[in-house]
Amino acid sequence: MQIRVNRRLVEVSAPDDTPLLWVLRDHLGLTGPKYGCGIGACGACTSLRAGQPIRTCVVSLAEVGDAEITTIEGLSDNGDHPVQQAWKELDVPQCGYCQAGQIMTTVALLARNPHPTDEDIDEALSGQVCRCGTYQRIRAAVHRAAELAEEER
Amino acid sequence: MTITMSRRAVLGAAGGALVLTVSVADEAMSMSERQASFTPNVYIELLPDGVTQLTVPRTEIGQGVRTSLAMLLAEELAVPFSTVRVRIADLDVRYGSQMTAGSLSVRSLFDPLRRAGATARAVLIAAAARRWGVSPDSCYAVDGQVRHPQRGSLPYQSLLAEAATIDPSTVPVRLLPREQWRILGRPQRRVDTHDVVTGALRYGMDLQIPGTLVAVVARPPTLDATVASVDDRAARAVPGVRNVVTIPSGVAVIATDTATALRARDLLTITWNQPRLNADSRTWRQELMAAAPEPTQIPSGGEVFRATYQMPMLACSPMEPSNATAHVRPDGTVEIWTGSQNPADARDRAVATTGRPSSRITVHVMPTGGGFGGKLFDRAAEEAVRLSAVTGTPVRVMWTRQDETRHCLARPASAHTMVAVLDGSGTPIWRHHGVATWPLTVMPFLNEQFILQDGNHFPYSVPGNVRLALCPAPLPTGFFRSVYSGQFVPAEELFLTAVAHRRGRDPLQLRLDLLRNSEQARLRRCIEEVAEAAVWRNVVGTGRGMGIGCMDNYGSRIAVIADVSVSPTDGLRVHRLFVAVDVGVVVNPLGVEAQVQGAAVDAISIAAGAQLTVRQGAIEQSSFRDYPWLRMDRMPEIQVTIVEPGESTPVGGVGELALPATLAAVGGAVHAATGVAPTGIPYLNRRD
Repeated sequence: MQIRVNRRLVEVSAPDDTPLLWVLRDHLGLTGPKYGCGIGACGACTSLRAGQPIRTCVVSLAEVGDAEITTIEGLSDNGDHPVQQAWKELDVPQCGYCQAGQIMTTVALLARNPHPTDEDIDEALSGQVCRCGTYQRIRAAVHRAAELAEEER
Repeated sequence: MTITMSRRAVLGAAGGALVLTVSVADEAMSMSERQASFTPNVYIELLPDGVTQLTVPRTEIGQGVRTSLAMLLAEELAVPFSTVRVRIADLDVRYGSQMTAGSLSVRSLFDPLRRAGATARAVLIAAAARRWGVSPDSCYAVDGQVRHPQRGSLPYQSLLAEAATIDPSTVPVRLLPREQWRILGRPQRRVDTHDVVTGALRYGMDLQIPGTLVAVVARPPTLDATVASVDDRAARAVPGVRNVVTIPSGVAVIATDTATALRARDLLTITWNQPRLNADSRTWRQELMAAAPEPTQIPSGGEVFRATYQMPMLACSPMEPSNATAHVRPDGTVEIWTGSQNPADARDRAVATTGRPSSRITVHVMPTGGGFGGKLFDRAAEEAVRLSAVTGTPVRVMWTRQDETRHCLARPASAHTMVAVLDGSGTPIWRHHGVATWPLTVMPFLNEQFILQDGNHFPYSVPGNVRLALCPAPLPTGFFRSVYSGQFVPAEELFLTAVAHRRGRDPLQLRLDLLRNSEQARLRRCIEEVAEAAVWRNVVGTGRGMGIGCMDNYGSRIAVIADVSVSPTDGLRVHRLFVAVDVGVVVNPLGVEAQVQGAAVDAISIAAGAQLTVRQGAIEQSSFRDYPWLRMDRMPEIQVTIVEPGESTPVGGVGELALPATLAAVGGAVHAATGVAPTGIPYLNRRD
């Protein structure tokens, strides 16, 4: 089967019902999306399917279809996407394990809502557990990313 | 502490590297470890390309040691912060303790790393002075160079060979006075963030060693259950499954990849011997409440006031579940890769499992997705060693979230009987704290004395006593952030707040009244600062209220005020949290703020309902759905004020500091909001 990941067409040999997370991690070596719970409850595996955030641990290979999958590795060439820049500027991560999911969810949020309010951020990001408790800096970084994206436009 | 210096050849570079080795003993070490630690356990290498590599026997669990320890060295070595790289050491028996716990990493290395940096600086200055033929006193070091007013400057790289010939004991070593600090005490962003936000940081789970097989384990459904029989035909028939092996912790499925292993695990049919189907945490709760010691004698002369409190069982639930990779080779060596807070445990388990000597076992310490006390005992590494011994290949064992929750080493529950004698004005003049709990079964040598020492941090001028009773837990118990302070301190603080409300006194003012001595001044100042920041108001029974919690622990002080509402529709909501901390010397204000916010989030999560319960022989909870950690929509604004004490105050710990006081502050606020004294944690929806 062929799927599109990070702007490349890749060949995958795995059963149809294989969760996309394990295709990305074990077959394609893309370890940015993390395993946190396997039941779509924590968001550590969040990546984008056609720009929309998906829980790759509960989306099967068959459900991917022709849609473009973007993982944290495919977000930018040099780690300079506005969301990544904002995360660095505000020193967001502690252990860092959940942050790929936080960042990919934020990328999708800003794409549909370039200037989110705190309430918008709560709604978009409340599915993402951060066990270290970095939420306050995440919230500030989402606002900062919105500013940086505006400057780039 | 001793510092020695030597030279190391570096391929293709004239002069080689200058190597400083430091022997550090720390408080976490046993006596035998302290003696062993005369072997160097910290390595500092000044490389010919201008990079300084620092190798430390500590684990990065998200607390930022790679950043804070680099700051300590860069300051005294007088090199740009960006040129220091911190490497986490592989386990080495010569290093002594490599445990990362007790809020000790910065405390134990604060002096040694600065002294080592200052020693290297003095030696480099001496080398430059010799080359120039000037007095070392006329030279100084800055930005990785030695400078002289007339002679100009020499980069450290050009002095390494000469410096290596100088005996460090012959040069005067002077630590920089605080007013000359350029790095310490100033906000420094984390060194590893770029790798995190690009997905490049490889955690233990992300290792890609060629030929590695992946294993998951079908674990006992109830406590102490053992395998009676296994039908693994369906599992073995799944393409990609390489083996099914029964091990002490369950039945392991070994496959070429994770999805295959998980799929095959679900196809196992296992019959279990289940000896503990009746285990129930409600029974333990009743036993704890009955066991909490009453005072033997209560002094006369005032009103006797009493209350009881219950504290829950907890799972650490780090974001990255337990996992480890092991390769047991035919040549007798064992290599282990694990994100552990205590890599010696992986080695000891490998020795016990394989019978091979510890000298043949290498443990690589990986960055790990959170610890919180949950990565001190490496059962995943033991399983990986057992399975690799069968396959001969590297094997990575991955625990699922359900494994991590239902098979955790639980923070023990506790019950607390509090009694106070109040004088005419309602001030407590005597106190009794009777605690019933259970030791950490993973550390059987840590007994009552450890529990009392770890939990007891009552800072107020109220004489009295603390008594402990042990009451067996129905499941294995282990560490959790703040350990027993997370039980003792909230109980004492909730009680003090209840004492205040009993006579309509202000809980914050009552604390200040009980902190009049000079040795209590640092905590007193934290309370005053936080009261001002929060604009403290003592209003009771309106559905929204403020509460205060305090602690003196880890060489630091903290006061927290929570602004909380309680309602039938919205439950317990923390709207704002104000924290004042005095951590002695501040190394990295950004790191202090992050650790305080993180521990406060833990406290709010526990206050609002994260807890473990046992029914029919098993932990009921299995994921973040039924063991709910705080999420963005309930995250309050947390304002952290850092209070700087005087010059001579030593550096304090911060990783565990904010949890107990925040639990207490939220409970005090629940009391104020509802007008009803809490009887334990969680404050709402408590289940025994």
